[in-house]
Amino acid sequence: MGQAIEKPEEKREIGHDEYNPVGTLALILLYFVLLVFLWFFMYFVEFLGNDPTVVGTVVASGVVG
Amino acid sequence: MTMSESGGTYIDNFPAEARVVRSALYSSFLALALGGLFGIIQTLHRTDIYRFIESDMYYTVLTAHGVFLVVTFTIFFLVGVFTWAVTTSLDRGVEDIRFTWLWYGLMTIGTVMAAAAILAGFTDSIDMSADVLFTFYAPLQAHWLFYLGLVVFVVGTWLAGADWFRSWWAWKQENPDERIPLPTFMVLTTMLMWYIATIGIAVSILVFLLPWSLGIIDSVNPTLTRTLFWFWGHPVVYFWLLPAYMMWYVMLPKISGGKLFSDPLARVVFILFLLLSTPVGIHHQYLDPGIAEGFKFIAMTNTMFLLLPSLLTAFTVVASMEHGARQRGGTGYFGWLKALPWRDPVFAGMALAGLMFAAGGFSGMINAGMNINYLVHNTLWVPGHFHLTVGTASALTFMAATYWLLPQLTGKALWNRSVALVQVVLWFLGMTFMSNSMHRAGLLGIPRRTAEPQYQGFEFEAGVGSVAELDFQLALGGALLAISIVLFLANVVGTAFNGRSDDLPANEFAETLSGPEDSPQVLDNLKLWTAIAVVLVILAYSFPLMSIVDRGGLYGPDISPFPVSIETLSLLAFTLEQYTTAAIATTGEFVQTTLTGVIR
Ligand code: HEM
Ligand SMILES: [Cu+2]
Repeated sequence: MGQAIEKPEEKREIGHDEYNPVGTLALILLYFVLLVFLWFFMYFVEFLGNDPTVVGTVVASGVVG
Repeated sequence: MTMSESGGTYIDNFPAEARVVRSALYSSFLALALGGLFGIIQTLHRTDIYRFIESDMYYTVLTAHGVFLVVTFTIFFLVGVFTWAVTTSLDRGVEDIRFTWLWYGLMTIGTVMAAAAILAGFTDSIDMSADVLFTFYAPLQAHWLFYLGLVVFVVGTWLAGADWFRSWWAWKQENPDERIPLPTFMVLTTMLMWYIATIGIAVSILVFLLPWSLGIIDSVNPTLTRTLFWFWGHPVVYFWLLPAYMMWYVMLPKISGGKLFSDPLARVVFILFLLLSTPVGIHHQYLDPGIAEGFKFIAMTNTMFLLLPSLLTAFTVVASMEHGARQRGGTGYFGWLKALPWRDPVFAGMALAGLMFAAGGFSGMINAGMNINYLVHNTLWVPGHFHLTVGTASALTFMAATYWLLPQLTGKALWNRSVALVQVVLWFLGMTFMSNSMHRAGLLGIPRRTAEPQYQGFEFEAGVGSVAELDFQLALGGALLAISIVLFLANVVGTAFNGRSDDLPANEFAETLSGPEDSPQVLDNLKLWTAIAVVLVILAYSFPLMSIVDRGGLYGPDISPFPVSIETLSLLAFTLEQYTTAAIATTGEFVQTTLTGVIR
């Protein structure tokens, strides 16, 4: 087999001063939006019903006596 | 950053060290194989899809799964990759290879001892068991061989750290004015954290659990040993993660075709972990009675601070990948993602691991909140969370890193890159299913650590989907993960049997956009950071520990040991039965007399 790691073919050299990580910023903002959404979702899932934490039904059987 | 000047592979430059690193990695993969096997067994068992063990053996299986994966697999990988990182970045071999073999040997002996105690639980012919799960909470009691094995293993890791410090000191004599190379800096700060953290289990085992299992003392204070466990138990999660972080910082940028965005920021991150990893352990004990709410609140606050270094890591690592993508011609706000080398298994594995870690970040924030924690505590949600963190962020990064390391360590090309790519993608898919179903099952209150999570007269009710669907997803995910492990191992074995190759890339780290010369000298002052870390630990732990001892006594309120075996279980059931029958009889009489009293 050939090389274990492909040598990335570099198209251009970008130095420290000309590099602005805007894509990173975009991704991080997206992540924060997602977090906020999930947080709200959690509120609806867990608190609004005010139900007990264990969700289910007691199946009455053999309790009558 | 210092780099291996010679430009060859690792095995060319450090043949003797390569052997130790290889041995550590193979030990790690053996544990992964065993752990994975137990993982699929317990998945099929608890979903009731295929049960071929008795349910009373479930804890033996689960203990083996937990210990082999989060102690053996992760830590053997860590010592291997750290040895590689130190020797490469200082560009010098270890000071004395016999010492290196010594700590590797101790770790191996310790593992064999603990593993023997755990696996003996499968047979009745040996009177030994350690069905205590990886948390070994008292009153669950293991055979002394288990505790002693852990001690020997941890001493091995201490000596490993000493080995790396020794290399650094020797290097410093010859290079007094140079900054500590970043990979070595990461190794040293991680080990300082580890030295502080292991005080917790060292005390817990040597002073309490080991003498207790030997019958030297009769009783322990379970709250105390639990608290000491979590003193170590939270920092250990960073012991699993930091080697992965190290690879994200020093390899991933290069593989993406770019440079590390900032060396100073990376140093700050590792210092923050050294400072904040330990004084948070009580966040695992939000539901423990006997610890005041105030202490729990302090632990929660510290935990929220601990989010900072992980968010900094997300930023730095993604920015470095973006740098690579843009150099490769990527454009736009999101378009650059397409320019990344997704077909390279090393890249794909690490990037997917990072993505899953971001998801784990959310469930981690839920766990960390004191009140929301009550909703998910001890449910399947929790394994759902940590299969994303240690089970993917660490494990998948380690596997992906192996595809880079193994050729360096053997001088042989990777057996099959396509299989490697399929392997990392399968892991991602499998974990998506398994972890999704675990999180959702946890929200319904389905418990973790349970062989048969089904109850007479009670049915869990899913808001979306059904419990059967959740079980199916869990099993499907588990099966994909098991296949992924098999493919990984096949690649490791295939590579080991490959012929030597001479067109392997040189053993090099990523270069940096902003190097160590941009960072203040004080970042390298390890004594200062260690001192602050110790003070923070004392502040966070002295009062809780004092109050626990004050309440329950140093050696506890006389509890009985509980080695989980069928005899004790049936004895317990028998006693319980006696009590309940007696209780029912008295209540019956009581009801009868009052009723007759009322009716009259
Ligand atoms: C084939 C892959 C895997 C499968 C099918 C699997 C499956 C499972 C399941 C179903 C549980 C929950 C059992 C219960 O609470 O009743 C569990 C627990 C656990 N898993 Fe995994 N897992 C896998 C891989 C991993 C990996 C790679 C790690 C870590 C590196 C890991 C670490 C753990 C730990 C620490 C526990 C908790 C043990 C305890 O509660 O004491 N697993 N696993
Ligand atoms: Cu924790």
